[in-house]
Amino acid sequence: MKLSRRDVLKAGAATGAGALLGSEGLRLMSQAMAQGEGGVYPLAEPENVIYGLCLQCHTECTLKIKIQDGVVTKIDGNPYSPGNLQPQLDYTTPPEVAAKVDGSICPKGQAGVQTQYDPYRIRKVLKRAGPRGSGKWKTIPFEQAIEEIVNGGKLFAEIGDDRVYPGFKDVFKLRDAKLAKEMAADVAAIRAGAMTVEEFKQKHKDHLDLLIDPDHPDLGPKNNQFVFMAGRIEHGRKEYAKRFTFGGLGSINWYAHTTICEQAHHIAFKYATAQWVEKLGKYHWKKGKDHMKPDFEGAEFVIFWGTGFAEANFGPPPMTPQITQAATDGKLKFAVVDPRLSKSAAHGWWIPVKPGGDLALALGMIRWIIENKRYDAAFLKNANKAAATAGGEKSWTNATWLVNPKTGRFIRASELGVGNENQFVALVQGRPVAVDPYDTENPVVGDLEVDTKLGGLPAKSAFKVLKDEVFKHDLDFYAHEAGLEKKTIVDLAREFTSHGKRAAIDFYRGPIKFTYGYYAAQAIIHLNLLIGNVDHKGGLVPGGGKYNAMGGVFDLKKMHTGALTPFGIKSNREASGPYETSTLFKRDGYPAKRPWFPFTDDVYQEIIPSAAAGYPYPIKILWLHKGTPVLSAPAGHLQIEMLKDPDKVPLFIADDIVIGETSMYADYVFPDLTYLERWAFEGFSPAIKVKNWKLRQPAAAPIPEIVEIDGEKMPISMESVMLAIAKKLGAPGYGKDGFAKGWDFDRPEDYYLKMVANVAMQDPPVPPASKAELELLRKARRHLPRAVFDEAKWQKAVGGGVWRHVVTVLNRGGRFEAWDKAYAPDGEFVAHAWGKLMNLYAEPIGTGIHSVTAKRLFGVPHFERLMGFDGKEIVFPPEYDLKLFTYKEVTGGQSRTVSNYAGQQAVLPENFVYINPLDAKRLGLKDGDIVRVVSPDFDGEFEVAPGKRQRVEGKVRVIQGIRPGSVAISWHYGHWAYGAGDVEINGQKIPGDPTRTRGVVPNPAMAVDPYLKDVSLTDPIAGDSAYGGTYVKLVKVGEGRAEVPFGDRKYRAMAESLFSG
Amino acid sequence: MANEDSRRAFLEKVASTVFAGMVLGGAEVKAEGSARAPDVVLTPPPPFKISSEAQEDVLVRMQRDLERALKKPIEERKWGMVIDTRKCVGCSSCTVGCVMENKLPPGVVYRPVIDLEVGTYPNVDRRFLPRPCMQCENPPCVPVCPVGATWKRKDGIVEIDYDACIGCRYCITACPYSARTFDFGENWTDDAASGQDGALALETGRAYEELANFEYGEVWKRHEGPIPQSPVGNARKCTFCIHRVEKGMLPMCVTTCIGRATFFGDLNDPESLVSELIARNNAVRLKEELGTEPKVYYLV
Amino acid sequence: MVERKHPNGLLSVLGWIVWLALFIWGGWGILERLLYGHRFAAYSSYVPWGHWVAAYIYFIGLSAGAFLLSSLVYVFGVRQLERIAKLSLFTAIVTLIMALMQIWFDLGHLERFYFVYLRPNFHSMMAWMVWLYTAYFLLLVFELYYAFKKDGAKDPAELARYKKILAWLGGIGIPLAVAFHGGVGALFATVIARDLWHTPIYPILFLTGALLSGGALMTMVVAYFWPARGEAWRETVTYLGKVVLALVAFDFLLEWAEYSIPMWYGVGAEYQKLMYVLFGPYWWNFWIIHFLFGVLVPVALLVWGRGPGAVGLASLLVVVTFFAVRLNLVIPGLVFPELRGLEHSYTDPTLPFNRLSFDYVPSLFEWQVFFGVIAVGIALFYLGYRYLPLVTQKEVA
Ligand SMILES: Nc1nc2c(c(=O)[nH]1)N[C@H]1C(S)=C(S)[C@@H](COP(=O)(O)OP(=O)(O)OC[C@H]3O[C@@H](n4cnc5c(=O)[nH]c(N)nc54)[C@H](O)[C@@H]3O)O[C@H]1N2
Ligand SMILES: Nc1nc2c(c(=O)[nH]1)N[C@H]1C(S)=C(S)[C@@H](COP(=O)(O)OP(=O)(O)OC[C@H]3O[C@@H](n4cnc5c(=O)[nH]c(N)nc54)[C@H](O)[C@@H]3O)O[C@H]1N2
Ligand code: SF4
Ligand code: SF4
Ligand code: SF4
Ligand code: SF4
Ligand code: SF4
Ligand SMILES: [Mo]
Repeated sequence: MKLSRRDVLKAGAATGAGALLGSEGLRLMSQAMAQGEGGVYPLAEPENVIYGLCLQCHTECTLKIKIQDGVVTKIDGNPYSPGNLQPQLDYTTPPEVAAKVDGSICPKGQAGVQTQYDPYRIRKVLKRAGPRGSGKWKTIPFEQAIEEIVNGGKLFAEIGDDRVYPGFKDVFKLRDAKLAKEMAADVAAIRAGAMTVEEFKQKHKDHLDLLIDPDHPDLGPKNNQFVFMAGRIEHGRKEYAKRFTFGGLGSINWYAHTTICEQAHHIAFKYATAQWVEKLGKYHWKKGKDHMKPDFEGAEFVIFWGTGFAEANFGPPPMTPQITQAATDGKLKFAVVDPRLSKSAAHGWWIPVKPGGDLALALGMIRWIIENKRYDAAFLKNANKAAATAGGEKSWTNATWLVNPKTGRFIRASELGVGNENQFVALVQGRPVAVDPYDTENPVVGDLEVDTKLGGLPAKSAFKVLKDEVFKHDLDFYAHEAGLEKKTIVDLAREFTSHGKRAAIDFYRGPIKFTYGYYAAQAIIHLNLLIGNVDHKGGLVPGGGKYNAMGGVFDLKKMHTGALTPFGIKSNREASGPYETSTLFKRDGYPAKRPWFPFTDDVYQEIIPSAAAGYPYPIKILWLHKGTPVLSAPAGHLQIEMLKDPDKVPLFIADDIVIGETSMYADYVFPDLTYLERWAFEGFSPAIKVKNWKLRQPAAAPIPEIVEIDGEKMPISMESVMLAIAKKLGAPGYGKDGFAKGWDFDRPEDYYLKMVANVAMQDPPVPPASKAELELLRKARRHLPRAVFDEAKWQKAVGGGVWRHVVTVLNRGGRFEAWDKAYAPDGEFVAHAWGKLMNLYAEPIGTGIHSVTAKRLFGVPHFERLMGFDGKEIVFPPEYDLKLFTYKEVTGGQSRTVSNYAGQQAVLPENFVYINPLDAKRLGLKDGDIVRVVSPDFDGEFEVAPGKRQRVEGKVRVIQGIRPGSVAISWHYGHWAYGAGDVEINGQKIPGDPTRTRGVVPNPAMAVDPYLKDVSLTDPIAGDSAYGGTYVKLVKVGEGRAEVPFGDRKYRAMAESLFSG
Repeated sequence: MANEDSRRAFLEKVASTVFAGMVLGGAEVKAEGSARAPDVVLTPPPPFKISSEAQEDVLVRMQRDLERALKKPIEERKWGMVIDTRKCVGCSSCTVGCVMENKLPPGVVYRPVIDLEVGTYPNVDRRFLPRPCMQCENPPCVPVCPVGATWKRKDGIVEIDYDACIGCRYCITACPYSARTFDFGENWTDDAASGQDGALALETGRAYEELANFEYGEVWKRHEGPIPQSPVGNARKCTFCIHRVEKGMLPMCVTTCIGRATFFGDLNDPESLVSELIARNNAVRLKEELGTEPKVYYLV
Repeated sequence: MVERKHPNGLLSVLGWIVWLALFIWGGWGILERLLYGHRFAAYSSYVPWGHWVAAYIYFIGLSAGAFLLSSLVYVFGVRQLERIAKLSLFTAIVTLIMALMQIWFDLGHLERFYFVYLRPNFHSMMAWMVWLYTAYFLLLVFELYYAFKKDGAKDPAELARYKKILAWLGGIGIPLAVAFHGGVGALFATVIARDLWHTPIYPILFLTGALLSGGALMTMVVAYFWPARGEAWRETVTYLGKVVLALVAFDFLLEWAEYSIPMWYGVGAEYQKLMYVLFGPYWWNFWIIHFLFGVLVPVALLVWGRGPGAVGLASLLVVVTFFAVRLNLVIPGLVFPELRGLEHSYTDPTLPFNRLSFDYVPSLFEWQVFFGVIAVGIALFYLGYRYLPLVTQKEVA
């Protein structure tokens, strides 16, 4: 036996040797022994490391997950990844070297162990044993659960509910792939006006029973009555779940959460980067990239607009080091536009804009820049690729293209007889010239300011359209709306235009969570375009992009035997074409009963209210995956009543890792694997300029029960539930030959490992793993059950030929291009450049029509205030005099890190209601006062379960770092489920943890749309929900203590009463 | 067992030379102990960052510094830390990273980050001040200990011997930086429902709390009870992650710092990054007037 | 031995009931302490010393005071106090045991207390304290032993011999008591990190406090529990009353010095802390408990009061409220963050106590253990009083 230093010292103390030696002697002894002895530290060994991917927030940083005694014990950053080490270690570095190098991650990432090991994690399938939301559950075997949800029936008869619940078999009606495809084409023809409903009915008279409504075939098949609604679903799982929903079940209704997230940002970028492409002989605007970012390393000036680099965004670990380094080196200056002094703003130039004043601020800046000719005219004049190339640029804009202001449409070359109908027109020194955006031969350098008549058509250059729209208001107006001095706008605009192309704006949720969010986003993108910074070092860049996981060795988009073609109008009418081409328009006309969203998708907050309203059709099954709209959407609490009603949501299943604020209303809750137990993948945000692919793989032994599906053992998860349902239904693409002949789909990794293989083999393939690395793969997974890691099965999923390459990627947690590949050899541009058209004018929007007000929308940013779907401005009574806004703490990961005691809870046990001292004084509030947050639509509390009311009340904290007149409440707190509330399972009460209930969730106070009355205010273009803009009133309900220098005083009251007798 | 150990030792050796090779590239290792005055002398670092093609993450640079220092005998090392408050974004990643690394229970914290608001609207600023143990050259916490359970090591680190500490907490009162905290034997999941695994992971969901930590390169398994197992019932403080450092790894709060605001290295090594940084006139120490001589410097 | 060593029936029963209640409630607390450690104590990582440390210095002060009182007899031959010399010695032992018990419970590892003997660090004031207590304890035992011996002395020579031994022991004891109790003051005063404690007046203040509280305790005991209420008793009590009055006055003088100097210009860290003591959330602890009931009322009673009852009451008040002085000494020294903003930087979210808070209020459990210790002390005292020849006919006569 080897004696450790500790044993010797202990013995020394125990035998009294210490008394002789004295502490001095012991100290010397100990030091002597310390020297040279490295001590015990198993976490430095590669066999205790698995590389994975964080999901404490959606930045999804690459991780190094460390395992001790079979338990995930420590999480750090992956040193192979540019997100955690900049530059990262060379990809060929042996794992035993990398084991000693930890990269950085944020505090949430650090606390992830507590998400993994949370006593409230679900292990077995729960079926409700009382009415929805009652908190009463029983556990049932997995097979029984699958049986019940597939077949439906009187599922809750034993609790006295005689209702017949639908099962998957009741929606999986259209099963014939050929028929589906045909019907889909015919519905498209109806929408295009090429076929009538009667003709359709005639043609498909034998199959009309498969449709939701034969009189409205464009609603699609009954399959659409299955709705898959995902919250923060990640890549890999997205594709997996789409395969199940679309090709497998033939439903069109697959949703993610983006409109409670940042959809206006995405949609504005997608239209700014939309390309004019041909498909089957027809040209259309194909939406482009959803995200671009400043090149922080190369920039001289960056504006963080309603976002930052140190708290949220995408995200601190990849971004912060770049910015703090450049800023302390004196290379980078930055401003932060935010109503509160965020951690990012603390180090920069704080612009305390009025919440929602961003559109005005951006328009004001644009106006000043145009007025003072501070824009890059040369860049804007390039009308096509050839011009851009000739001008030394990579991308170009449609600023010079001519718009017909009457229709909002670009004038086509054919209209003026200068070219064909797929070409546009620009004036070149007064002369109309056809523009083919992608022409590499004939540069078109157009006139920027055009306002004329051509061939009888009114014609304005896109730039002029923008200018005229922006010049509708003067700088004083914009300054007033933005709540800033005019000088600030000018200063900011001047600084922004003083660095050539080495300046850029990063923005995220702050400026866009308003009904005019799309325009605000577009205006901010335009500011970038005006200085022509796209692709330039220090400018706005698209990022390195990710390796393609869906194609290559395995074309996963096509490898779906017998895939169904889903078709029809989506249940929330998003991405379903213009309202005007639907058969419902013929029936209802304007205003539409509920709005349509042709320009966007993932309109999350509308899914459940639409189902409840039965418009455009009722649904049968709702599957909520990793989402909690009730908690996280503005005014989401209104959905509680809808979810509780089986008439509106007949079968409601959810998968979750805990019983969450929304899954608590489900009929069945399936346990899911956490991000440390499962597969998925992601690419970095554009903050990383080199090509990459981040891999999530099982690192922790699964906590959910292990079950058997068709002879295959695996833990319960979203994947296994889908497999089980698909197999039970006989849905196409699963089981034997599910992918293709010889390629079965029986296990989740049959799918995911093919993705890894695609990435590993992408040209040039990664080096194959050595024998030692193969051994390491096994050793590092020795704690995983065979139901998760079975080398033979893993190998079989990809085939022996690529296996060793796959192992290389597995052993490194992804694939990452070298950091020094960020810039093109010329040093002026990034290597992974956009290099395409950028749109100053968004034609699809400019020709679009608001489905409720029937008004035409704008192709350029347009000033407006908060508005309902009825087109009326929202006015708040004067007693609601604080403008509410929210934000994320760096320690909080959406609604799901309250279980992180050491992270979120310890850094900030509760969130506060922050106000400026001026408001505190005016309202007679002081630090520590308890206030109820009340808005015209919300009286401060709501019912979450029979007899259980949740109050939106929080503690006031008075700070200087917030703009007067506003109130900030952060997110992540105010839970009543997720381990915060009591539940009863199998008759046994399981109490919640009171520490998880602390703090306040501001979302219920957010304004409700006056037209729809059951959902938050919504941006009609991007479908984004409005988190900002609501004026609230703080009603004091409890007295605070005057001073705060003595910390938390929760137990003082108790003890004081003791003192005083 | 012996086999396992020697294999491990070998691997470690390989790993660190490979690492050194990797980061050093082809650079020659300096010969030591020459008799004549050197032909080439060290130059003081430039007072500003000079442009250099070969950029590297400071973490890599510091790991190289660390490996160099470890080659020296322990008494010639002097571990120090530098915190650049201009780069610190107050994210508390270091705090939480340290908690997870050392498996600190509630109530014990080695490196909180203070977030102070200064000024009046609109002239407001927030300042962030991470506070590890200063590893004082003259540590007031040491002489007070009645049983000599805490002392300054040769490499300057103030160590606590959990097996000797009687938990009197005198040292806690004596530290001018509140760097010491007491392990009350609490667990993070104390308030959560408990019981056996069934529908919920009531038991496995708290398994991680039982794991040993490796402070000072030893194996510590916390357990409360009539006779608590150390470090329950002990004073605890930042160890400069000496258990990692001696394995050739940087302290956790350094590696996880997203602002790259925390630096670590050998203050006795004139070529280490930390030596370079503290030579600037913006380096200050906390409560200098007490004469504790902290080995943690702040750049302001 | 005398017959009636305790008050009459009804009171006695009442006393028993009260004691039993204290014992059960306190014993339960002690049991919890042994089983669950510090889990229910409200002190924290930032206020690491709380109620129990205050209690410890309180008891230690009582012990030192009682002992010094006895030394007046054995060393300086103060005749008026001769009667209570043994009782004082015994009280010193009992309160010392209480103090040690109290601080033992306060240790994180009470099973390792002996490390202080095995591996002492004599740089540490605390190590010194422990060693001094040990010496002091032995001394007390010896002294008591010889005091009994002296009582039983058969001839004057023997008597003289014992007297001499006692004078020697007492002589050694005085510097010992001064050292250890002044030392307790120094234990605090040497902590440079705590500006409230870091003052040279502390050792003296501690000593005076010890004399005052210990003297008051003896006075109270004599006034209420003395078996014979004769003239001698009256005389002793009156004398003791004067001593207590003088000590109250002197202690207050020192306190005045301690408070007034740092307060003068109204700036500085110490000023802030004193203001906290005087006008902070626990102002009543200083003004009402300490100043009103610990100084003003006792002084009034001692100056204008008639008879031993008043003296006894005054002393009782002094003894009891002195605990407030001890609390006011330990805790305010700790409740201010050494670095501003520390209190919000990281907290302990688990219930019921935030261990990273500067906001300390003793928990019920801490009171429980405190009263448990008192119950044990009372029991010891009672046993001694009952079965040892502490108060014999000689004293009563
Ligand atoms: N810590 C953390 N990081 C995350 C996440 C997380 O949960 N936690 N989630 C990830 C996800 S999903 C997303 S979408 C991103 C979101 O990333 P961000 O958009 O950067 O985060 P938010 O905190 O939602 O909003 C950003 C800032 O907008 C400010 N703001 C609020 N209202 C206004 C306004 O009217 N105008 C302006 N100019 N500013 C305003 C807020 O004060 C806040 O500082 O973060 C990602 N990163
Ligand atoms: N006030 C305010 N509200 C906000 C925001 C804000 O800044 N302020 N941010 C918004 C943004 S940007 C977003 S993206 C949304 C995100 O909000 P949500 O869509 O609510 O997303 P999450 O918090 O990621 O997860 C939702 C639920 O999924 C469950 N869950 C957690 N982990 C897992 C898992 O691994 N598997 C499964 N199956 N389920 C899991 C939990 O019940 C959790 O509550 O919130 C929005 N809400
Ligand atoms: S930013 Fe933090 S929480 Fe988000 S993915 Fe990265 S490490 Fe995880
Ligand atoms: S900071 Fe405190 S704990 Fe650390 S060495 Fe100095 S005095 Fe000791
Ligand atoms: S708490 Fe431990 S280390 Fe600190 S002084 Fe007491 S015995 Fe020494
Ligand atoms: S050096 Fe290690 S122990 Fe010290 S604060 Fe940093 S992480 Fe914690
Ligand atoms: S991790 Fe770095 S940036 Fe974050 S608080 Fe700690 S020192 Fe500051
Ligand atoms: Mo989001």
